[in-house]
Amino acid sequence: MQGIIGSFDDVDATVTALRELRRRPVGGDITVFTPAPDHEIEHVLDNGPSVVRRYTLIGGLCGASFGYWIPIWVSRYWPLVTGGKPIASWIPYTIISFELMVLIGGLSTVAGLFVAARLPKLTMTVGYDARFSGGEYGVYVACTPERAREVEAVLRRAGAEEVQYEQ
Amino acid sequence: MATIVSPLPETRPHDAPHPNVATANRRLPGVHDYDQVDREILGTMRPTGGWFLALGVAILFMLIGACTWMYQIYWGLGVAGYSPPVMWAVYIVCFVFWVGIGHAGTLISAILYLFRAGFRTTIYRCAEVMTVFAVMTAGLFPILHLGRPWKFFWLIPYPNWRLIWPQFKSPLVWDVFAISTYLTISATFLFIGLLPDFAVMRDRERNPIRRQLYAQLSLGWRNTDREWRHFTRAYLFLAALATPLVLSVHSVVSFDFAMANTPGWHATIFPPYFVAGAIFSGMGMVFTIIIPLRRFMGLKHYVTLNDLDAGAKLCLFTSMVVGCAYLTEFFIGWYSGNPTEHEFWWNRVFGQWWWAAWIMLLCNMVLPLSLFWQKLRRNTIWLWILSIFINLGMWFERFVIFEPSLSHEFEPWQWHYYSPTWVDIAILCGSFGWFFMWFLLFIRQMPIMAISEVKEISPRPQRRRVPHSPPVTATITPTVGDEV
Repeated sequence: MQGIIGSFDDVDATVTALRELRRRPVGGDITVFTPAPDHEIEHVLDNGPSVVRRYTLIGGLCGASFGYWIPIWVSRYWPLVTGGKPIASWIPYTIISFELMVLIGGLSTVAGLFVAARLPKLTMTVGYDARFSGGEYGVYVACTPERAREVEAVLRRAGAEEVQYEQ
Repeated sequence: MATIVSPLPETRPHDAPHPNVATANRRLPGVHDYDQVDREILGTMRPTGGWFLALGVAILFMLIGACTWMYQIYWGLGVAGYSPPVMWAVYIVCFVFWVGIGHAGTLISAILYLFRAGFRTTIYRCAEVMTVFAVMTAGLFPILHLGRPWKFFWLIPYPNWRLIWPQFKSPLVWDVFAISTYLTISATFLFIGLLPDFAVMRDRERNPIRRQLYAQLSLGWRNTDREWRHFTRAYLFLAALATPLVLSVHSVVSFDFAMANTPGWHATIFPPYFVAGAIFSGMGMVFTIIIPLRRFMGLKHYVTLNDLDAGAKLCLFTSMVVGCAYLTEFFIGWYSGNPTEHEFWWNRVFGQWWWAAWIMLLCNMVLPLSLFWQKLRRNTIWLWILSIFINLGMWFERFVIFEPSLSHEFEPWQWHYYSPTWVDIAILCGSFGWFFMWFLLFIRQMPIMAISEVKEISPRPQRRRVPHSPPVTATITPTVGDEV
């Protein structure tokens, strides 16, 4: 994937560049590298809610259902009536159901994170630099060679320390 | 219908400071930039002479425990003091004690995250690690309790060859589900929180083998906005799932006893009583570990006195809840008018078990009241000494719950006395060795603080080269008494 990566040593210049790129879309997809999650950058990018919550909900509901189903099925498989009590008693089974809801819901959340964030990554990400896990910020803009100068100008105007063309 | 004739004003001006809700807008006055965070936190992973010494002592204790276990396997459970009617002795005490220790990790990590408690940020990793290793240690005790430990897989609820399943109405089966879920979710929570830190270590490591290891563990994490967006949501949902789990696990552990028709056990107060006790003991162990760490690893400007002060208040609160539960139990023992209960409680507090009961009351109810004084809450030496008393008191709390009940049931001919043998004590010491061995190994391989979260509460890199826009000023408000 071709594009331009600009590195910034402060968050304000990064935000300025992103605002400019959002206002005047001169390139394609934008990827921002930040050492820590940043609300300001998240607000500028405005990517909408994460899909992870759906995985959590579906996983939790499946876990809870399975947690009721297995003891009920087991109880009815060998129905032994004791003291006239019901064969399948939902109150104690709620504990199994609750634990499995948390277990499957939690593991589904992790699965959702991996799917949505595209983890694990087996290849290098274009534009990534070790500095971006330290104290610097990076903005990668996918663009064709024809638009490269325009994107570079936006990044430099915003205060990029270094701009490179990646292909 | 109203017509908008001009653009709506921006609700959040660009240059206004943005409060970080996830960290309660907390700041670290002694931390100046991200490089310092990387340097100092990764610097804690260098082994020192003190670390080798501590690890050696932990391994020695673990070996003592392992050899004693082999001795017990050879001679049978009788060497652990098991004799009717006391067939659950120190091992069940240790099991509940270690599960309780494991509670504080997820409490600090998940519940305090949801409540936006700022003091969580710098201590939660330590507490999470403590949780995982404490639950691992607790998991050993049901196996140690078995006469034939090689049949441990019989504990797992699966059907036999006639397709007869275990009894799902039994608290022991609930326990298997609760503890295994808790261990899985706690370990997952810890690992997910470590992902961005693995990436930092991968990018800073010079040793190619270790770098490759961290690269594998980081799963190719690149700090992209996409990763952070989904990561923060996933972390929030895991915290939301783990919070009721914390409350449920020790409630389920308490059902092991409360469901039994035994004097002193058959009480509805047990679930909240056990949960509060678990949080209390967990906080005690957090102090036992974090106070030496901040002292010897030079982390006083990360784990500040304000953090310890806030933790001490939580400790004091849970101590009072636990104390209230003790007094309620005593009151009900008298007020119920049930002669068995009355006799049992008298025996527990003033009879043959008075020494254990009064150690419990002194350590868990009386000494923590000192935390009402701010000077003592901010005195690290006193906090550390108190944490040792809390650990001791909470171990004796479980001892007082289990042994007097088993040895003093309904029929006088069943009454008996139980005293731990050297095997029990050696296994108890071995469990501490096992726990601290894993903990010490962890702190030299992984950061003891979440680097990315500490960066969130550190001053962000500020604008220096673009003069046409006013700089964003990070709000750094040192609190009185903060160590810098």
